[in-house]
Amino acid sequence: MTDKRILILNRGEIASRIAKACRELNYTSVGVWTESEPHARHLEFCDEWVFLEGKTNQETYLNIEQIVGVAKENNIDGVHPGYGFLSENTDFAKALEENGITFIGPHSEAVRLMGDKAVSKTLAEKHNIPVVPGSTGAVKSVADAKKVAEEIGYPVLLKAVAGGGGRGLRPCADEIELENNFEAVGREAMSSFGNGDLLVEKFIVNPRHIEVQILADKKGNTFHFFERECSVQRRHQKIIEEAPSPFIGEDEALRKELCDTAVRLAKAVGYDSAGTVEFIMGEDKNFYFLEMNTRIQVEHPITEEITGIDLIVCMIQSAFGIDLGIPSQEWITKTGHAIECRICAEDPITMLPAPGTVTGFETNFPQGTRFDNCLYKGLEVTPDFDPMVGKLVTKGITRSVSLRKMKAALDGLFIEGLKTNVPLHKVILENEKFVGGNYSTKFIGEEKPQDDVKTDFDYEKIYSMLATIEARRMGF
Amino acid sequence: MRNYFIDDEKNEFVVDLHRTVVHSSNLVEFTFSALENDKLERTQNIFVRKLAGQYFVSMDNKRWKKLARQDAPNIMLNVNKVYQLFRGYKPSGLMGGNEGELLTQMPGKIVKIIVEKGQQVKKGDNLLILEAMKMENEIKAPIDGTVKEIYVSEGQALENGFLMMEVEKA
Repeated sequence: MTDKRILILNRGEIASRIAKACRELNYTSVGVWTESEPHARHLEFCDEWVFLEGKTNQETYLNIEQIVGVAKENNIDGVHPGYGFLSENTDFAKALEENGITFIGPHSEAVRLMGDKAVSKTLAEKHNIPVVPGSTGAVKSVADAKKVAEEIGYPVLLKAVAGGGGRGLRPCADEIELENNFEAVGREAMSSFGNGDLLVEKFIVNPRHIEVQILADKKGNTFHFFERECSVQRRHQKIIEEAPSPFIGEDEALRKELCDTAVRLAKAVGYDSAGTVEFIMGEDKNFYFLEMNTRIQVEHPITEEITGIDLIVCMIQSAFGIDLGIPSQEWITKTGHAIECRICAEDPITMLPAPGTVTGFETNFPQGTRFDNCLYKGLEVTPDFDPMVGKLVTKGITRSVSLRKMKAALDGLFIEGLKTNVPLHKVILENEKFVGGNYSTKFIGEEKPQDDVKTDFDYEKIYSMLATIEARRMGF
Repeated sequence: MRNYFIDDEKNEFVVDLHRTVVHSSNLVEFTFSALENDKLERTQNIFVRKLAGQYFVSMDNKRWKKLARQDAPNIMLNVNKVYQLFRGYKPSGLMGGNEGELLTQMPGKIVKIIVEKGQQVKKGDNLLILEAMKMENEIKAPIDGTVKEIYVSEGQALENGFLMMEVEKA
């Protein structure tokens, strides 16, 4: 095997994770460091480091010209973009290609097709993949809207064509509500977005966000690695994920249908890397295609834990046209259950980012814990980067076992000096609805676990911390 | 030795260390109490043992707990509050940040100023949008009143603790 040189164009936990995959493959991992993070933890895991000039992310991690230059200078064979930054940027993939460097990800056409929500929806429809039913284009009048609503069935969602960020949306339970809301939403859309055009879509009651992990090679072999349930979200961002989905549960026929649908879509675009097809599933277990993420995702570890596959290693192998060693779909099986809690530097009650400095970090985990992180004593979490500092993952033979392990793992995670959402995770893990596995994307909004976070001054802990500080001062 | 814990909102906790017993070269016992309503309450003994370069603590010298070793002894986290810890003295001049003063709670950039000087506002009204940690945060009026002064402009990057706006109580 020839030794390849991989540039890891990312930071934090995912950069360390990719470096570990390179180590396994006996490839040279080349990490990136910048002025804003001279002591970044991920560099410890890399074989070599290169420097990216600039102060902002725009000048460093997003600077295609500089990155291609650095890659050429350092004889890089492939670039792994991780998630975020340039992971779904077709210009970047093309720039690398033109310079004979492999982009570790799918071919740029797949990224382009899936990057545009309207294009991917049309493509999905063409391949008989269910999408949320609704009007094709804007509806002209109340009469038009009513006609569409009758076809797809109530409740429906009135949606501003130009809307976004949760604004210009209104669910309508019946014809009367639709009539009453039509003009108001139109006016609201006009004043907010300067475009009063409205769409009518089926309103999914208590939706579940369920996604399927895909892995494909360059020879057209496309596999799925089962689903992940990602319905615990705040501000449309996931904070807890689990695999398999407790909502699908033992319904193997539904699971197969969902996963096969995802494979069909991936095949339709000739997908050739690791990717994720996201669906929304209604209370009635009907599912609809939402979007495809053409990169490795934050929550990939839970899939790795239940299937035993190393997705990052496979992704690198696939990019270089190396056989993945997977004989067939049937060969891929899952065991047990895995759960991931995203550990973020944020206030556990307001859930707003809270930058700060880590003054103490220690772990005391139960067996079967995985903690992908970028934490170290002295880490400064700045407003420039994502507040996620780690991903705590536990696995058990059943869901109740992995949940039990997660509770113990959270109790054994000691981060000092920096506010984190660990107390919030602890409350969620005790929540009846969550433990029952029957929750939708409205979970945080309806159950409000943040209200149950205990904020009492913990004298026992504070005394203990003071005692260690005193002991240290005394020269112990 | 008296220890003062003061959080961002100037809430204060006082913890006294009033007894230290060195049992051996790697075992030491402390007694702490908290000052509540001018009385010392919640008296508790804490044992500290150093083992393999790591501190372990115990309430009863039997059952030991691991803790993260603190490297910055002046910061203490309790769930959703980060306290400044002052040992032996209480700092003066920590007050400031009057009722209607809006100070940045984290470094960030002003995206949009929604109100104008002299405008009437109600408690909870959005005054401006501050982008911090890749997120837009709506800064709300802390009280009913009038916008007395705006000290910042759109696009301006701010450090922590920067006075952005003043609202005069109605």
